[in-house]
Amino acid sequence: METVKTQDIGLNDLPWILEYRPERCTLCGSCTAACTAGAIRFERERPGNPARKAGGEEGSTPGPRVVVRQSTALERACMGCGMCEKVCPGRAIRPVRNPDHRFPIVGRAHGPIKRGGRTNLNVQRTLDAIVVGRISQMTDPALDSERHTFDLRAPLGRVMLPRELPLRVRGDSLELEESTPPVSWIYPAIFSDMSIGALSTRAWEAIALACAYLNEQCGLPVRMCSGEGGMPVRLLESEKLRYMILQIASGHFGWNRILRALPRMKADPAGVLIKIGQGAKPGDGGLLPAAKVAPHIQAIRGVPRATLHSPPNHQGLYSIEESVQKMHLSLNAAFGFRVPVAIKCAASATSVSVYNNLLRDPYKICGGFFLDGIQGGTGAANEISLDHTGHPIVSKLRDCYMAAVAQGLQGQIPLWAGGGIGMTGNAAADAFKMICLGANGVVLGKLLIQLLGCVGNEHGRCNACASGRCPTGICTQDPRLVARLDVDKGAESIVNYMLTFDSELRKLLAPVGNSSLPVGRSDALVATDKAVADKLHIQYAC
Amino acid sequence: MLRIETLHDHKRMSTQEVLLAIENAVEKGETEFDIRASGQHDIGGPLWNKSGGKLTFLVSNPGQRVGAMCLPGTEVVVNGPAPADVGWLNAGGRITVRGDVGDTAGHCAAAGVIYIGGRAGTRSGSLMKHDPLYDPPELWVLKNVGSFSFEFMGGGKAVVCGCGCEGLASVLGDRPCVGMVGGAVYFRGPVGELPPDVRCLPLTAEDVAFLDGGLEAFLEAVDKPRLRGELSAWENWRKIEPLPFDARERETPLSTASYRARQWIADGIFGDVYPDDFRVQGLVARGDYRLRVPLWNNDGQRCRDCRLCVRACPEHAVTRKEEDGKAIYLSDDARCIGCGLCAGVCPCAVWTMR
Repeated sequence: METVKTQDIGLNDLPWILEYRPERCTLCGSCTAACTAGAIRFERERPGNPARKAGGEEGSTPGPRVVVRQSTALERACMGCGMCEKVCPGRAIRPVRNPDHRFPIVGRAHGPIKRGGRTNLNVQRTLDAIVVGRISQMTDPALDSERHTFDLRAPLGRVMLPRELPLRVRGDSLELEESTPPVSWIYPAIFSDMSIGALSTRAWEAIALACAYLNEQCGLPVRMCSGEGGMPVRLLESEKLRYMILQIASGHFGWNRILRALPRMKADPAGVLIKIGQGAKPGDGGLLPAAKVAPHIQAIRGVPRATLHSPPNHQGLYSIEESVQKMHLSLNAAFGFRVPVAIKCAASATSVSVYNNLLRDPYKICGGFFLDGIQGGTGAANEISLDHTGHPIVSKLRDCYMAAVAQGLQGQIPLWAGGGIGMTGNAAADAFKMICLGANGVVLGKLLIQLLGCVGNEHGRCNACASGRCPTGICTQDPRLVARLDVDKGAESIVNYMLTFDSELRKLLAPVGNSSLPVGRSDALVATDKAVADKLHIQYAC
Repeated sequence: MLRIETLHDHKRMSTQEVLLAIENAVEKGETEFDIRASGQHDIGGPLWNKSGGKLTFLVSNPGQRVGAMCLPGTEVVVNGPAPADVGWLNAGGRITVRGDVGDTAGHCAAAGVIYIGGRAGTRSGSLMKHDPLYDPPELWVLKNVGSFSFEFMGGGKAVVCGCGCEGLASVLGDRPCVGMVGGAVYFRGPVGELPPDVRCLPLTAEDVAFLDGGLEAFLEAVDKPRLRGELSAWENWRKIEPLPFDARERETPLSTASYRARQWIADGIFGDVYPDDFRVQGLVARGDYRLRVPLWNNDGQRCRDCRLCVRACPEHAVTRKEEDGKAIYLSDDARCIGCGLCAGVCPCAVWTMR
């Protein structure tokens, strides 16, 4: 037997320990075959195992006994995804969270920890300290959520004040004297920007499929943002492009094919989103580990196989004014000023200043301000960024809205908020509260892949998105794993969830008595936490 | 006959004064009333004669809820129009309004008969129901009803004759019968879009018998007997019924698989850069989809030919062959799941997983 030394990594150093019951194990091999981490393998049992002695009569099972053993290698550490438990016919194995683990220490002793998922340290739920407390009870009629006609539409694009509209009376008719900024009225939930590098082809396609299905079969004008990794050309050249918001981020990945597809586009895209930063890892730029840079990604992005970093800033943008000028103007122009162009920033202590600047935009070419909070997800980031940088979204969204209100400019540049929406599964409630606080709509990301089957959570489960070993075939480019994902079933889960979201949104609108989205109707909310109430300027109740 | 004049020298009796005067008179045995109202509410119910006699009310210029909560044995006749809630919660009275009525006529009526000689407002007949202990309620309207009519209707019979409705897009207004779960609405004339859980049918012989049997009394009550012939052209009538509860299964929506097959980009949006057959592999897969593959390498001649691997393999993928008198072991890719049991049991490390 090898000598074990104190500095050797042991099982108890790892975040997950597999609880294995050999007496239930049938040696079917399913767990070891399914484990993408390579965390388990069969080994010959050492003599004297009491469990085995108690299990059967001496000599009744010929041959050596083998058992499932967990690896102590850091690079093969169990990530808690639970696929072994799922496939085990005898309930013989399952991962158990290890409260005493030393992974943050021993992991960093081997270099920076990179992973996907959400922040695992900032999981506070401000939205759960808020309830819809202003109910129509004799003051005004509540609406019938099932049968009332609701107008659940949110603007994407610069909304002009009535007095700013270039209208002129000519004879008996009112005419626009010049063109006005493009505005689309879309569903108040956008499928967020997860790139085709971050997600597998099947996962990305399932979300796009669900988006188109919701538009064409269910009448919900949901839009999906491409993420920064470019777009599949077949989609660019399809009518379905109308549901897609194209993203441009600091790496400008994929824009060559987008531009080349311009002459063959049958429809305008739904919008363009300039990504400045991302809530999950603000200031850290995009990251696509080499393990995920598959040939099709290399082609679409125009790069060889390598770990791809997007710079943390747009090179050549040095001020808010410049970003408006260069990025907004150019992308507006690229689509003939027909397509709204919006900008996405990580929520930050500075967000209000940025929003104020955008609100002063004299060219009226900023079509939306997307704020992404610290609880947003990502496919790959340094854990230091995930856990320790960022800004909670709720109060920042509220601050921005209130800043616009103070100038009488609310509603002109739509506010879209993301980052942790639907973290507990209640996206409609989260969305409704954010809207009451001033958002025009919300952005959903992590929730969508959870609907596809992602088992990751913000308590350190799985989070293997950066490793290429996603056990559900969602955040990987390994064809063997991608093949695990059922596109149709995944799309169906998203569709059904969104139909539920829609009916739940009505269930919240009805008691408040609003037929349309209650943007900024903070009187509808009460907080059961005094600090939250004070910060958000809503009523406190207890 | 008790006549109540509700206006005296520009002084108007309150609703309470009128209702108390009626109640006192009923208590004393009065059965016939002539109420010259000036907008007083709730005239007509719920009242009853102690000896079981019939109460009749001739009312002019009533306020809201004339005939509301009306009991069997009461008849209310309004010679002219009436505002909202005529016959609200009617529990058995016979209520006639010869003119138009306001909104929610017959709302929640569960028994009795309501005759309207003109038009009825929005949400007329909403939440009508049928208590099986009693005859179903009836609501007859000579002309048309406003929007959201017969919402949540749970029982009873409504008849909308569609007289004087030329050029109207719907004699039942917009969005009629939403949430309807019981009863029937008979109507003559065009109707707007109906919700998916009701159906519009031609009349059956039984329906015709009901309408034919009730029409004369209705037209008599609203003083339009000459319309009998015109309204008896039964081919111009239709009936709305809710779908039976069991038949309400929503149309099966197009599956996402069919949508992808028929309306999505052929071969997928990545078909040009990432060929995919879209077949779904389980967590335990074979062939090329295995995460690890066993390799038998006996270059060091360590294999003791113990056959443990053959016995251990859960998929019977490992086979033993002899070549030139030497044992060799093979794993069949089509069966192997890459579990590594062969490598796990092997005492000589001839099997490895890669």
